[in-house]
Amino acid sequence: MKISYLKIKSIIKHEYTTRIKSKGFIISTLLGPIGFFVIMGMIALSSYLSVSESPKMKIAIIDYTHNYGKEIVRLDSVNLFLSKKSEAELREKVLKQELDGFLIIPENILDSGIVYLFTGGGGGIAFQSSIRDIVNAVVRRHRLEREGISPLVIQKIDSPVLLDARKITITGEKKEFTEVYAVLGYILGISIYILMFTYGGIVQRSVIEEKANRIIEVLASSAKPFEILLGKVIGVGALGLTQILIWLIVFGLGLYFGAPIILSFFESDIMQSSIVSNAELSDAATGLEIPTISPLLILALIFYFLAGYFLFSTIFAAIGSAVDQESDAAQIQAPISMFLVIPLLFISVVIVNPDSTLSVILSLIPFFSPTLMVIRIAASEVPLWQIIVSVMLMIISFFAAIWASAKIYRIGILIYGKKPSFKELFKWLKAV
Amino acid sequence: MTVLRAEKLFKRYGNFVAVDNVSFSVESGKIFGLLGPNGAGKTTSIRIVTNIIAPDSGEVYLFNETAGPKLQEKIGYLPEERGLYKKLKVIEQLLYFGQLKGMKRSEALQKARFWLFKMNASDWENKKIQELSKGMQQKVQFISTILHDPPLVILDEPFSGLDPINTELLKQIILDLKEQGKAIMLSTHIMSQVEQLCDEICLIDHGKVLLSGNVRDIKKSYGKDTILVEYEGDSNVFNDLKDVQIINRSENRIEFRINADIKVIEKFQKELLSKVLIFRYELMEPSLNEIFIDVVTKKEKLIEN
Repeated sequence: MKISYLKIKSIIKHEYTTRIKSKGFIISTLLGPIGFFVIMGMIALSSYLSVSESPKMKIAIIDYTHNYGKEIVRLDSVNLFLSKKSEAELREKVLKQELDGFLIIPENILDSGIVYLFTGGGGGIAFQSSIRDIVNAVVRRHRLEREGISPLVIQKIDSPVLLDARKITITGEKKEFTEVYAVLGYILGISIYILMFTYGGIVQRSVIEEKANRIIEVLASSAKPFEILLGKVIGVGALGLTQILIWLIVFGLGLYFGAPIILSFFESDIMQSSIVSNAELSDAATGLEIPTISPLLILALIFYFLAGYFLFSTIFAAIGSAVDQESDAAQIQAPISMFLVIPLLFISVVIVNPDSTLSVILSLIPFFSPTLMVIRIAASEVPLWQIIVSVMLMIISFFAAIWASAKIYRIGILIYGKKPSFKELFKWLKAV
Repeated sequence: MTVLRAEKLFKRYGNFVAVDNVSFSVESGKIFGLLGPNGAGKTTSIRIVTNIIAPDSGEVYLFNETAGPKLQEKIGYLPEERGLYKKLKVIEQLLYFGQLKGMKRSEALQKARFWLFKMNASDWENKKIQELSKGMQQKVQFISTILHDPPLVILDEPFSGLDPINTELLKQIILDLKEQGKAIMLSTHIMSQVEQLCDEICLIDHGKVLLSGNVRDIKKSYGKDTILVEYEGDSNVFNDLKDVQIINRSENRIEFRINADIKVIEKFQKELLSKVLIFRYELMEPSLNEIFIDVVTKKEKLIEN
């Protein structure tokens, strides 16, 4: 099959130039970074809230030891209070919803290790584990004291261990910012996911528009369906790449000029807290280090966006060509969409354990790679062979997708009036 | 000179045969009419000629070469349904379609402005398509069809949506193109336009050619069998007519075809003179419209039997 590059070029140019001037593109380019910071803020806020805010529950304590109850209340005086009332009375109150629940501390708690919590339901896992941790701390201290260990020793035992992770590089060693990179990976993975489907959606809507407005008839009398499809996919992809590059440049400039200011603001804060918390580690905090973004990550970001976008947009274009309106496309797409949600479900697994077998396998599957491989590259050191395999799988699946999509597209654009079944789509695939 | 030659085109969709052994040719400097009822196979034939779809068998020759993607640039195609980008400006739209047909941008710009001027549409250059009326959009679509100066122009229902003034304007432009030696293929339902414009026709139904040839020859072959009367008086006299087929009847005007012996008609003619006042009495060839209905219904009866 001979392809006219001149025609593909005309189509790319048309798709790119008409869209880059559009209000939609300009607004989304401007709002993108704002959305980025909102998402980052929400992640930070939610992790802060989940740590600091325990649920407000009014819980009475019946203390048969007449001793530990006070200490337990001292650890959480907001939710817990001591009660002299009987179990039956408290049950009444819970049923009347005057009370959320009550905790019974049996006399032999040190030996049995069991406390009893009665509630009207609710509170969640976080609430239960907070009660357990509080009681556990009190019981643990009393058990140790019972064995004759002095409070001073107990305090020493309880002082936490801090992990100062360092990464060995050719030039020496660097502080390892695992959490920072995990958050970065999370944001980048989600961003790629959103961008791929946004731009894939643009391609699909454009195909449907051309079909619904019968523009395709004129186009097909001027160029081959394959040329139209390829030109469109490349043109819109170039638009997406432009947007990403604009953002990267803005962020790069922002970091270059903004980082020193932000750091000087943070520096005093970190120094103070490190001196107070653990004097031994203070030398680790001298010479403040900042997390750096490797060029590999930026390359991966661009490659996986493009590869994922090409893969999905050609599939979306084929679906778009087979229907007359967008709502029909959504219906055909539903089973595919369910499949495409999988990487989102596994994001947290991959972030927590980026090098586990499950993470490696998932990140090599072409449909999931764009999201999960970027997260792994950000959060860990991915072996080169895995990157190469994934890149090759992406490229192979892109060619398979465009081959199949072109076949469906070629027939779909000229058929009106009926929504094809999957069986028919397969028939089109087999048509010469 | 023969510009386009379609030979024994055959196209099947599943069990449905859309085009069955259809052949025709289009000459330069001539207007060729492709006619037929809805679903007859006109659009499929045109799509094969424009290389949008491939026939199952048969060949299309353009300037004696096998038609293919390379020759698409020599065709200007106006589809039956309008295909324009709603949000694009008129000039951008024309430039894009022109470039897709292999024109340079500057060349396309110059031609687009020329045609917009010629069609009294220069003011719309920077308007978006969606701001235009249907008739205006139709003009833009027509310009995009002939912008690259194709030797073969294929027009599928070019007059739909146009008011009488613009219909005349477009007719004149089509005749100008014919003068310039372009080969024009016209598909339309409006037979009066076919009669005014077409030199050759091909009538197809159910994918098969029912009738083809020179318009004048076809009409001649049917002979003069149609009578038009314009009169004043009691219209009931026409109700006594036997063995005639009334085609058109309005106040003081009647048009009918005679199936009976001409002598019966002559007798009736005399009767008529004594009963009503006659302004016009004409024995003429049937209109193309009549021939069209005739051929198609005969064929359909044949299929039913």
